[in-house]
Amino acid sequence: MRSVGVLVVVCLLLAVFGPMVAPHDPTAINIPNRLRSPGGAWLLGTDALGRDILSRLLHGARWSLGLAFVVSLLGLIIGTVIGLIAAQGGRLADWIAMRTTDTFLAFPELIAAVVIAGVLGAGTETLIFALTVTGWMRYARVARGIGLSVSSRGYVVQARLAGLSPLAIARWHYLPSLLPSLTVVWTGMLARAILGISTLGFLGFGVQPPMPEWGTMLLDARIHMRSTPLQMIWPGLAVVLSVLAINLAGDALRDALAEQDAKE
Amino acid sequence: MIRIFAGLLARAVVVLTGTALATFALLWHAPGDPALSIAQARYGTVVSKEVLDFIRAEAGFDDGFWTAFWAWLAPLIQGDFGQSSVNGRDVWPDLLTAMSYTFPLALVSLGLGLAVSVPLALIATRRPGSWMDRSAVALASVGVAIPAFWLGQLLILLFAVQLGWLPAMGAERTAHSILPAMTLGFGLAASLTRILRSGILEARGQSFLPAFHRRGVAQRNIARDHVAPHAAVPVVTVLGLELAFLLEGLVVVEVIFARPGLGSFLVNAIFARDFPKVQAMVILAAVIFVVVNLLIDLIYRILDPRMDGRDA
Repeated sequence: MRSVGVLVVVCLLLAVFGPMVAPHDPTAINIPNRLRSPGGAWLLGTDALGRDILSRLLHGARWSLGLAFVVSLLGLIIGTVIGLIAAQGGRLADWIAMRTTDTFLAFPELIAAVVIAGVLGAGTETLIFALTVTGWMRYARVARGIGLSVSSRGYVVQARLAGLSPLAIARWHYLPSLLPSLTVVWTGMLARAILGISTLGFLGFGVQPPMPEWGTMLLDARIHMRSTPLQMIWPGLAVVLSVLAINLAGDALRDALAEQDAKE
Repeated sequence: MIRIFAGLLARAVVVLTGTALATFALLWHAPGDPALSIAQARYGTVVSKEVLDFIRAEAGFDDGFWTAFWAWLAPLIQGDFGQSSVNGRDVWPDLLTAMSYTFPLALVSLGLGLAVSVPLALIATRRPGSWMDRSAVALASVGVAIPAFWLGQLLILLFAVQLGWLPAMGAERTAHSILPAMTLGFGLAASLTRILRSGILEARGQSFLPAFHRRGVAQRNIARDHVAPHAAVPVVTVLGLELAFLLEGLVVVEVIFARPGLGSFLVNAIFARDFPKVQAMVILAAVIFVVVNLLIDLIYRILDPRMDGRDA
């Protein structure tokens, strides 16, 4: 548990402060220095355009982790709103909301994201749009399930009879019950978003060069696999470690919540 | 049973219609003039305005979204996937060829995933908390965090570039399928191990099992008749989710290993802005996904008769 915490904190620190400690400009092209082996002033070597790989990795954290954070948070907000509308809004609203959720869930999310990002034209905005549109459904399911069980409880019925507005009920009565489960879903979706962003970047539909996103870096490194194989190791390792840290944190959180539930 | 089946079928139709509508709406709002790309594919780079008007009228682009949508959907329902906007050829035969590369790879990868994960989960759960169990869990946790596009590259680096044992690019011989199948199989094995393990542990924890044991039923019979069916329910559910993982992985793996399957078909069609091909591929993926999930829903209800016809 403690080691998981350390790993997560390290990831967060890297995303926030990484760019500040980067030794070089991540986009500065320096052709005479291209494809250097690790060592000297370039700790992890340089890429095909002579850019410092360590600096690109550190700046890349902001793209790969930062965008994943944005995407998963947008999904959380949209999904929760749709789930609560389904739970509170009567039978027709419930039917429409849930059939929409089914339809979006009925298609492999990453393929949908590839199609959306590819068709609308690669770029950061379309990337965020594509991954958000395909990433809100799990939140909606969970929010609806908990919302339905909460709405039949006495204090919610009384609040409704007392004339409290739906928004106030959502804020004071639904949110506290929703938060623990939604946080667990959120950690899973955050990990998926990191994988999604780097996969789209790798396929050429994500963050565009020269920005140093980890998947895009792997795409560059691929061409020079024979001469500088180590270039392919670093960005992949960064993706695996951050996804692993977030998944482990999610597991720990879920276990802690289950224990708390068992005690009550 | 028939009523349940009809319900599931109705849901599948709603989902497929929704997917078709969403896809068409997306392409309708895509940047660029679709008529221009069709015209350029047919007649070269310089296109007169009359030709563009003709193509727009032919494809129903002038009559608004719903007319154009219906002009695409009506033939589709009869199995006509239309023609490529780049080379004018029928999409369906190309799609069939791509499938002939993708399906064998998908099946072999799935088999590989099961062949690794089932024994691993059984060994791990023999003594929960033992070092065997902990290392299986650790392996699976790392495994699900490794993106397919990276693992595939690492395998190419090791087996094709450094050792020179296996071919990396193409799909002519069986040897070409080994690295792609390993890439996909590894990811599947990792996530299946996690789910199987918790499924078996949960099934073992059922309160009626000690009663059988005290009555003198042999341990192996308990495992076969009572633990296995319980553990099978989450596995069947998860196979549906794994199918999504498999389809997503196939896209990446086929691009990395330059296999002419459905994944490459889709990515190439997007890059070429060949929208009829993109539409065909999306609809095909949706049909596969919906049909497999329909079957899984049915198997689910056979395994666990308590499920009523409502929510899965």
